[in-house]
Amino acid sequence: MQIKSGSLDSRKTKGGPLIKKTTKDKLFALALLTPSIIVTVMFILVPVFDSVIKSFQNYKIKNIIAKIPGEWNNFDNYVKLFSNNKLLPSIQLTLIFVGGVVLSQFILGMAMALVLNSNLKGARFIRSVMMAPWIVPTIISGLIWMWIYQPQYGLLKYVVNIFSFGNVSDFAMLNNPATALLGIAIAALWKQIPLTALLLVSGLANVPEETMEAATVDGANAVDRFFHITIPYMKSVIKVTASMAIIENFKQFPLIWTMTGGGPNNSTSTLAILSYREAFVSNNLGSGAAVTTVWMLLMIVVVVLFNFVFKDTNVD
Amino acid sequence: MSKMKKVLALLLIVVLTVSLGACKSSKKEEPKADVTTEDGEPAGEEVSESDGEYEFTEPVTIKFANYAVLEAGYDKFWEDVKKGFEEKYPNIKIEYMTAEYGQMLTQVVTWAGGGEIVDLVLGEIPWIPTLADAGLAVPVTDAFSEDYLSQIYPSMLEATNVDGVPYGIPMYASPFVMFYNKDLFEQAGLDPNAPPTTVAEMMEVAPKLAALKTADGNPVYPFGMTTGSVSVSGSCLTSLIYGFGGSVLDADGNLDVDNDGFKQTFEFIKELDDKGYNPQVSKLKDLRNLFALGQLGMYYDTSWGFNGVNSINSTAKEFIASAAPLSGGAGKGESLIQAHTFMMANNGEAQVEATKLLIKYILTEKVLAPYLQNVAPGYPSMSALSEIPAITESPVLSGALSSLNTAKGIANIPAINDFNIELTSLAQAVTVDNKDIDTAINDFKTSAGSILGN
Repeated sequence: MQIKSGSLDSRKTKGGPLIKKTTKDKLFALALLTPSIIVTVMFILVPVFDSVIKSFQNYKIKNIIAKIPGEWNNFDNYVKLFSNNKLLPSIQLTLIFVGGVVLSQFILGMAMALVLNSNLKGARFIRSVMMAPWIVPTIISGLIWMWIYQPQYGLLKYVVNIFSFGNVSDFAMLNNPATALLGIAIAALWKQIPLTALLLVSGLANVPEETMEAATVDGANAVDRFFHITIPYMKSVIKVTASMAIIENFKQFPLIWTMTGGGPNNSTSTLAILSYREAFVSNNLGSGAAVTTVWMLLMIVVVVLFNFVFKDTNVD
Repeated sequence: MSKMKKVLALLLIVVLTVSLGACKSSKKEEPKADVTTEDGEPAGEEVSESDGEYEFTEPVTIKFANYAVLEAGYDKFWEDVKKGFEEKYPNIKIEYMTAEYGQMLTQVVTWAGGGEIVDLVLGEIPWIPTLADAGLAVPVTDAFSEDYLSQIYPSMLEATNVDGVPYGIPMYASPFVMFYNKDLFEQAGLDPNAPPTTVAEMMEVAPKLAALKTADGNPVYPFGMTTGSVSVSGSCLTSLIYGFGGSVLDADGNLDVDNDGFKQTFEFIKELDDKGYNPQVSKLKDLRNLFALGQLGMYYDTSWGFNGVNSINSTAKEFIASAAPLSGGAGKGESLIQAHTFMMANNGEAQVEATKLLIKYILTEKVLAPYLQNVAPGYPSMSALSEIPAITESPVLSGALSSLNTAKGIANIPAINDFNIELTSLAQAVTVDNKDIDTAINDFKTSAGSILGN
């Protein structure tokens, strides 16, 4: 019987290694991945699973302290959230906030990126200075914007008063349920646009100049070039940037809690605020976990939809 | 070379994995020295004989969760307390465990979750139900004698009740009182020594105050009632409801808002808003700011809120005066009592006894009077201290002294903070959201009922 070289038997007979090279590589890769797997399981999957279980329980602080398991209450936490008219408005507000901020962030960030990518004088200086809002801690950003919106002596009130020729003298962005979310969205944009612009600028560097020149020679105008060359070449960068923005704004808590605390009249009570209030203000951890579970499911749906839309990131 | 790299990488991975496994609490057991106290018997007038019977055979460290240690103006007092107490009781040490005020309650719970239960917490009355429910505060009747507890104002002690049992020892208290600006009263042609006592009287003088402008042309608001989305604003609104003779919760913590006083309060708030008398959706800090700048004629606050005013305008003492809360409808101007309160856990006999000594040490005239005079104006919980000059001669406290007699507490339930925020939502609904009062109250009943589990 002919023995094939490289087979286990052949190695045995030749005194070679007992395990195939490919298996060895796989084992080595697995070993390298082990810490990440442990961290993911321990600090992400187990807590998520635990939170989902607790969302079906009557679970309070005393359960943690006394180390007694929560009492199973089936869907009571969910029924309560739906029956008190809090969950659906919060879902709606979260989607409006995320959708509005992410879209505006992309449009304004792209505009800024295009300006910075041009041969504008001082673009390099602007690029370094514009990152300032991004490095300011979120709570500080919230406080700065609260001062700007301050209804008695805030800058915005003064500006509106001037531009309305004194007709609007009591403009209070955060006190009006119709404008409070917009006020927070502006603060969120101020903080997040710099990073978006920076990422998009780096994406613009990937757009080949020769393709742009060829398109120009072929008679394509600036708009055509932007939509048919620039955007397709930047698709992968846009996908990453948009994903980051969606996640950042879905979980936006400190800015909203600092600026409005969910008010006025719950007009800024997003899922993050509702979850915090249920778990840590009402001290009902089970109910807070129920909000978090809905929040997580909603996020999964949004991310799946997003990935579906951006399925093909390759440029033909 | 490549093999070497692989081995090195594997070695690093093993180290990382092992260190992950080692990520668990490594609580060190402190060696306890076998020392007998030099001064186990508490001396001085403030400690009764029966309380001095415990003999500390080992050194004790009191873990004291105290946010005030981090606050400028308060820090020196607490450092002096530590120094003075440790000098007096050499075998008892105080270890301050701190966090920012807004995070303190959550932090105490988090510490406990990690196995570290603090012996003593300084906090607000609304913290009590959470700590009691979690087993982190015990009834003070378990630790203090009836004789000692009888020296505390009954209304202040009752305000700490959970299911009829007191869970806190108030250090000092204050109902929500009405502060007013004497200078603005004079400018408006009003008697600065005769503030309004009823809602109707207040609404009569309000137009005169609203007509004023500050020196730099800013408007003056006649009356400030906090409605911002924070728990303390809800407490202040509860106080106003009491003033109208209304209620919010019954003694068992169930929703109790089907009364005239409750509805009249929100009609009053709406009227204030419609006339532009009250700064909208303001927190207490906003009102203190406006008051300090001479832009607010009257407002409701606790006595120690004066510190916020004083930090903005150090001359505020010259124009501030206090008065009893207004009465409206069929009410008699009752108010909600607030207190900075000690809550203690049971970490064993020695810890409890040492904590008792500390509380008693702080509640003596020698320690507390200078604090109330110079640090935070408030009414002492010990009735024996009610006549001290720090109270009777204080412009911040003297005018509203009578409000102590009518002030009362609220049923202490674990979800009180969320309930309070919901109360502010109701005020916002009838003001900035222009909702009809009956609709807003019905919405409130649904959401608040859900919070309370009714």
